[in-house]
Amino acid sequence: MNETLLQKNTRVLLIWLPVVLLACSILFYVLMRMQAHHMQLKQLLLKQDNTWDAFLQKNGNIGKNITGEYQISEPGAIIKWDKPDELKDTVIYYPAKKKSLPFQMLTRRYEWQNKGYAVTTFVSSTEISHLIIKVFLTEAGILILLLIAIVILNRKNADALWRPFFSSMQQANEYDITTNQSLSLPAETGIAEFNELNLTLTRLTSNAHDAYDRQKQFVENASHEMQTPLAIIRSKLELLINQPNLTEKAAALLGDITEANDRLSQMNRTLLLLAKIENNQFPAVEPVNVSEMLQQLVNNFKNHYEEFPAITTTIDEGVMVHANPSLIEILLTNLTKNAIVHNVPGGKIIISLTAVGLIIKNTGLPTAASPNELFERFKKGSHQSKTTGLGLALVKQICSLYKYTVSYQFSEGWHTVSVNL
Amino acid sequence: MKLLVVEDEPSLLQSILDYFTQEDFLCEGAATYNSAITKIDSFDYDCIILDINLPDGNGLQLLQYLRQYKKQEGVVIISARDSLDDKIKGLDIGADDYLTKPFHLSELNARIKALIRRKYTHGVDILEAGNLRLDLSSRTVNCATQPLSLTKNEYDLLVYLLNNSNRVVSKQAIAEHIYGEQADNMPSFDFVYSQIKNLKRKLKEKGCDDLVQTVYGLGYKLSL
Repeated sequence: MNETLLQKNTRVLLIWLPVVLLACSILFYVLMRMQAHHMQLKQLLLKQDNTWDAFLQKNGNIGKNITGEYQISEPGAIIKWDKPDELKDTVIYYPAKKKSLPFQMLTRRYEWQNKGYAVTTFVSSTEISHLIIKVFLTEAGILILLLIAIVILNRKNADALWRPFFSSMQQANEYDITTNQSLSLPAETGIAEFNELNLTLTRLTSNAHDAYDRQKQFVENASHEMQTPLAIIRSKLELLINQPNLTEKAAALLGDITEANDRLSQMNRTLLLLAKIENNQFPAVEPVNVSEMLQQLVNNFKNHYEEFPAITTTIDEGVMVHANPSLIEILLTNLTKNAIVHNVPGGKIIISLTAVGLIIKNTGLPTAASPNELFERFKKGSHQSKTTGLGLALVKQICSLYKYTVSYQFSEGWHTVSVNL
Repeated sequence: MKLLVVEDEPSLLQSILDYFTQEDFLCEGAATYNSAITKIDSFDYDCIILDINLPDGNGLQLLQYLRQYKKQEGVVIISARDSLDDKIKGLDIGADDYLTKPFHLSELNARIKALIRRKYTHGVDILEAGNLRLDLSSRTVNCATQPLSLTKNEYDLLVYLLNNSNRVVSKQAIAEHIYGEQADNMPSFDFVYSQIKNLKRKLKEKGCDDLVQTVYGLGYKLSL
């Protein structure tokens, strides 16, 4: 699964920062323990010196034992001790408190008047361990605050940093090559990378638009240029079919040529029309009564066809759109015609028009092309040679001009085309 | 009737000249703006067929020139530019009709005939063929004095055939004439066949037999 940059960044921070902080805390704790140990040792040594000094000054006449402070052993044989003074943990029981408390002790051997003494000094471990715990807890608290602060700052900062990026993204997303000239993204975002991104995007879209323009122009020019030869062929054919003494065979050939030529002309005209819609050469819009137009159109079609499929129409009255009437007529005609042409013998057509949109359903054979491809130019769902394969492309073009959505589906022997007005 | 055809494509020009010569017009052709101006200056024409795109000028300028000098020739513009703007501009300047390439010569013929009738035969709007009489102003048809009731399409079809009498008119030309650009959306021309069938039946009922004939698979012909 993909995450956003911000999510990923936060996740990495949340995984690794605690690890780093934990490691640091452990290190901190260990170092602090070492320091505390060292400090206790120093304290005990100092106490030793003080106790022995006091003992010598008073010629041995001091208390031999003060609980929790020092203890001087009875004089005995002189014991030479190879080992250095050793720090040891111990527990002293305080009867008043009825508690054993942890202490550290240090024992050292001394010589006085040819007798051996062992002086043990004590220091309480409780305070220092309390201190260590308190310091450590404080530190941990600070580290957690730090973690939260880093994550929040990072998120805030990333938000601000990426703002130009998201604004560019949104504009690029909304960019429509058919209508927009090129993207107008700010050249200065304050971040060099994004400046470059904007520059690249702008260049890319303007190149794409140029290519699109050239292609459009090509289609329009090609269609224009083809009109004259087509007109010549048509005129010559008309002269030819009026020649006297035409044999039946020649007439049949001429008939085929005429038909093919007319289809070519029709295709050419449709391509030109497509190019013109793309070039937005139908700017004149006016209120169009779709209901009336559709009703009339269906009636006309009924007159044109000998075998008209059974048709059911439910047309809400007064459905209006704001558009170019010729284009709406082309849209309705193409869809209705398709429902008739791509039908089966004894088939049915259901047309319903509401303020929401138009739905045309007809019985028919499944199409060879996929639903999306059907709206592309020269994509045919069947191999009917008499269709140009441009009808639905025209429908799509008109729909996209007026921002209608058009969709097609086939299920259980029914073709359904819906247009949301 | 004198006709000037201004068209830069020699092949198309020749076709139009051929067609209208057969229709007993006195035809002249001009392939450039300048030669057209010279011809207009020197002669009077009843009708001018005018292409907009000329190698050394624009058909619309030529039209302006004509109207400026108060020449009253009927003008039919033929052009590959089928944009509405050009059409409106042309008609505004004073063209009588506008036809988009590629067109059927029979359609051009019908337009020219209609134009000439409008301009030069005041009040007499009657087409005749044998004992068939069609009154354009009242839109009535009589066959041997018996009134014939036709649908709008059948009437249009009959007028078209009468205008192109003694000529083979293709199914496509008929379809385009009656349904205009709608004809593009017709997957077949069966409906032309059924219109013709109905028309022939009605003519036969009133005694105008064999006026309209089917010519192989090519089209139809109204013979006198």
